[in-house]
Amino acid sequence: MTPGNLNFIVIDDSKLDCFIAEKIIRNTGRGAVVKSFIMAPEALEYITGNNGPDNNLKTVMLVDIQMPIMNGFEFIEAFEKLPQPIRDNYIIYVLSSSINENDISRVRYHTSVKQFLNKPLTSNTLSTILELID
Amino acid sequence: MEKPERIRVLYIDDEINNLNGFKASFRLDYNVMIASDTADAMVMLEKHPDIRVILCDQRMPTQTGVQFFEQIRSQHPLPIRVLITGYTDIESVIDSINKGNIFRYIKKPWTDTDVKSAIEESNKFYIANSLLTLKNEELEKAYLELDKFAYSVTHDMRGPLMSLLGAIDISKNSDNISEIKDTLGMMEKSVQKLDDFIKSIHEYYSLKRGQLQISEINFKEMVSDLYDLYGIAGKLEHINFTVNVVQNDPFRSDAVFLKIILNNLVANAFKFQRHDIVGKIVDLNITVHKGNVELIVRDNGIGIQNEYVNDIFKMFFRATSSEIGSGFGLYNVKDALTKLNGEIFVTSTLNEGTTFKVIIPSK
Repeated sequence: MTPGNLNFIVIDDSKLDCFIAEKIIRNTGRGAVVKSFIMAPEALEYITGNNGPDNNLKTVMLVDIQMPIMNGFEFIEAFEKLPQPIRDNYIIYVLSSSINENDISRVRYHTSVKQFLNKPLTSNTLSTILELID
Repeated sequence: MEKPERIRVLYIDDEINNLNGFKASFRLDYNVMIASDTADAMVMLEKHPDIRVILCDQRMPTQTGVQFFEQIRSQHPLPIRVLITGYTDIESVIDSINKGNIFRYIKKPWTDTDVKSAIEESNKFYIANSLLTLKNEELEKAYLELDKFAYSVTHDMRGPLMSLLGAIDISKNSDNISEIKDTLGMMEKSVQKLDDFIKSIHEYYSLKRGQLQISEINFKEMVSDLYDLYGIAGKLEHINFTVNVVQNDPFRSDAVFLKIILNNLVANAFKFQRHDIVGKIVDLNITVHKGNVELIVRDNGIGIQNEYVNDIFKMFFRATSSEIGSGFGLYNVKDALTKLNGEIFVTSTLNEGTTFKVIIPSK
């Protein structure tokens, strides 16, 4: 395992959940650049603007669903409208505490989302999905 | 003079004599409108949505009564349709009754008793029908709210709990005391958030189910609790909290509902502060004047973006990603105000502050 071979973006309106996710990501030793956003529009700006990391690494994105102003689905829909070369750099996971069937099946409908993950994020879950990326 | 409770009835016939005769016989009992053709009748239906009973002659030059009823049925489903006809048209009448276009038919020549009983029966049917429609609409609204409620409740209760589980997991695997303490601080906020949410649900149900309990309100007494509570919080967070009460007249209202309104508005003013500025303020001004109370809660906090000002009273709406809001408080405020016949006005500028003005009449 090469350390720090992935970038990470966490989008969650709960600061505690951002903190937890960042912590767990750092513990895996895989995070090169780890960024958290409590507002989805800011994350979108970060992705589309040219101020991202220039390390040519893929970015794993963990996106919450229920957020004010722009929720996870709105974010994903906006993301799916971005040009293919940008999208290719990202692997999206939805990370939510929702147990609502509609939410879960709606995630499945978005091909840009790799998987629905249940909160809380644990080291085990993260290791498992990162192994699948390799 | 028109009495409002008189049933509005529309009679359509191509023979002017019949129209005049009808009007003469029933104008005292009902609010009678007449039309000599169906085109006129259509205009009246558009103009007077409160027409309850339509009586229509079958044999008319441009359109039969049956055809007319069939035509208006989808556009004006509420008025009850009564056909007036000679027995020679009986086949088409039976067909129309079976299709549900006609509630009653009256044989020509009609007697006053026939017409009266048809109108009375139609009116009863109309009332039952519209009550049912109203109840159905209310039910639909209640279900919609329940759905939204169930969805958000799972999110708003499960969210903080999952955060706690995650934080516990991190702390268990950490030997760094200061990191564990940081995590504990965040866990505390998470627990408080959950508790706030549960309190809001409690308020929501007291508002939905509760009958008004009217009593004399002494605003000075009412705000003293509030002042004690927020005075301390204000000192800790360097927020200058001033309360000013002017009450020279008695005021009667529901104390619980008033407290819900005051608590939520003041709590919001404290929550949505700009943490980085010096001179944070929250003002509460209460004036009882001429049978009304005016409550003004003003802060110089983060403000509300213009485009969201109209949405802030919707259930679970949150205009900011600031973590403290549940999107429940102002919904409860609005609900309480509706029950007290009060009004609320918001003026807000982003990054400058928000002022809520509430006016409630004494009961």
